[in-house]
Order: sequence, then C-alpha cells, then structure tokens
Amino acid sequence: MQPISLAHPEAQALVAVIGMALATYATRAGGFWLMRLVPMTPVLEAFLRGMAGSVVVAIIVPQALKGDWPARAAIAASLIVMIGSRQPVAAMIAGIAVAGLWRALI
Amino acid sequence: MSNPAADGAHGRSVDEPGPALRFTLDGALRGFRATFIYAVLTLPFGLAVGVASAQAGMSALVAILLSAVVLAGAAQFAALDLWANPLPVAAIVVTTFVVNARHLLYGAALHTWAAGITPWQRNLAATLMTDVTWAMTMTAKAKGERDAGFVIGSGLALWLMWVVGTAVGYYLGAAIGDPRRYGLDVVMPAMFATMLIGLWRGPGDIAPWMAAAAAAVLAYDHLPTGWHVIAGALAGGIVAVARFARR
Repeated sequence: MQPISLAHPEAQALVAVIGMALATYATRAGGFWLMRLVPMTPVLEAFLRGMAGSVVVAIIVPQALKGDWPARAAIAASLIVMIGSRQPVAAMIAGIAVAGLWRALI
Repeated sequence: MSNPAADGAHGRSVDEPGPALRFTLDGALRGFRATFIYAVLTLPFGLAVGVASAQAGMSALVAILLSAVVLAGAAQFAALDLWANPLPVAAIVVTTFVVNARHLLYGAALHTWAAGITPWQRNLAATLMTDVTWAMTMTAKAKGERDAGFVIGSGLALWLMWVVGTAVGYYLGAAIGDPRRYGLDVVMPAMFATMLIGLWRGPGDIAPWMAAAAAAVLAYDHLPTGWHVIAGALAGGIVAVARFARR
C-alpha cells in the first residue's frame, strides 16, 4: 500500500476542506462564544436588535443595485406581495415569476 | 435587564417573556417544515456550486464533501476562485473565515435568546446556521418561537438541498444551462426581501435600515466578499443605539 502523502493534490484538497469547515464553524459558533465574555447591557441589546433587520437590508440592497431590472422588479414584487398577503411562499414565487417572465418576454 | 449568564436554565429576558428556551426534536421539525420550501427553491445555487466545482477540477468526493461540511455559498465560490495546483490552503482557509465573518454577528444577535440552553446545545445549533436559517430563526423568534431546535431543523433542510444540488450539478454540469434564463438567480434576493417584512417592527426601523443600506452599498465595492453585510449590520446597530440613547 502506498503511504498517503500530503503532497498528493487530493490530500491537499481534503486538508483545505477541513480547514474551511473549521474556519466556518468558528464564525458560526464564535458569536455565542464572544457573547459569553461580554456582559449584556441595554445599549448592547439595542445594538443587537437594531442589527437584525439591518443584516437583511445589507444583503438585498447591493443585490438590487448591482442586479439588472428584472432582478430589481423581482425584489419589489416580493416586498409588495409580502406586505399585502403575509404569505412568504406567494411573495417568493411572485418575485421569481416577475424576473422569469421579464427575461422570457423581453 | 437580564444577564444571560445569571439567567441559566430559565433563559428569560425582560423583553422576551415566555416559557424557558427548549432544544427539542419538535422544534427541529418546525424549523425543517418552515424552511423546506425555501430550501427547494435554493436548489439552483447548489447546482451552480456543483458545476463550478467540477470546472475548477475538484474530485466528486472533494466537491460534495465541501458542500456538506462548509454549507456557505459565498465562501465556497470565493475558494473556487483560489482553487489551483498547488493549492493555496492557507489563503483559502483565511478567505473562508473572512467571507463568513458575518456569522459572528448572527450568533451574537441570537445569544440572549439562546442563553437558556447548554453551551453544547448552542454549539450544536451553530453548526448549520446560514444566512437563510438565521433570518428564518429571527422571524420565528419574533413570532414567539422558543425552541432552539428550530435552528437545526431549518439548517438541515437547506443542507440537504445544498448537498443534493452540488452532487447533481457536479455530474450534470453544463447540461443544466444558465439558471438566469428561468429567473432563478433572483431566488435569494426574493427570499431575503420576503423575510425583511417579517423583521419589520415599526417606523423606528427606518433610520437603522437606511444606515444599513448606505453602509452596505459603500462597503460592497471596497471591502472583501461578505463584509458589506457586516458594515450594514454595524451601521444599523449603531443608529439603533443612538436612537435608544436619545430616548
């Protein structure tokens, strides 16, 4: 049997995958770890509460600005249907349908 | 104001009344059911990462294992950009941490809620916490969800579709075609737009959200992948604190 060498590309790839998994896990659990060291104060709580929706705003606004018109229309359609109906699945399907139809027809 | 450490098993916060937080299979099932339809809609992204992994020269084992143990689209695409022979392992791992650093804020935001379960239960819940699962959990929490099993169930639904999508994309490759043609590239923006409405608490959100939008747009062009989310979150949090201090 051949000894397993770290010089082998597949072994390197597996090391990279394990490293990526550990780095990602550190970010996912790290927030909980850090917060055990920090005392919860009203100011920190206000900060964390203000952050919640802000994260989602920060995810979609650049996507809307960098995207094309069908993508912007999709975001608008999802927002409007969600505000009107409070049905998440209907809102998502509306967004996807608007972008799909726009691209299919134009 | 409650101190999570002192709260211990009760896990109650002054502004979040209700029964103590649980960590049960029932909660996991709720999370799975709530997320499943979204997870199905994310399949094109799994397909895309599978196609890109094959093109980057990964073996099927590495490509599928990567999706299974990392479960982070932006980080995986960033790593694929760096994938070469010889493999820059350290650069790939550091990039992964940087791209995923926004997750640190997700854990912080859920910490008070999750203070009532044991540290090991929290560590377990964290394993599958993606953008979508976090936003789903924040929405469920706002509606009174008191079971951290929700995070695991929600994460599992996305994990399943991510791994299946990666495998199918890897083997079918270019036969799939361009997902943009079917409007599928807007799945993620449409999903987050939908969730945003569930996180709206009132006119007090307008100022933090405007600050978040401005910071995210500025950071998008000037900071590494993923950091526009951190910039937006910090800006929104700071404005919320400023408003809180003025009251």
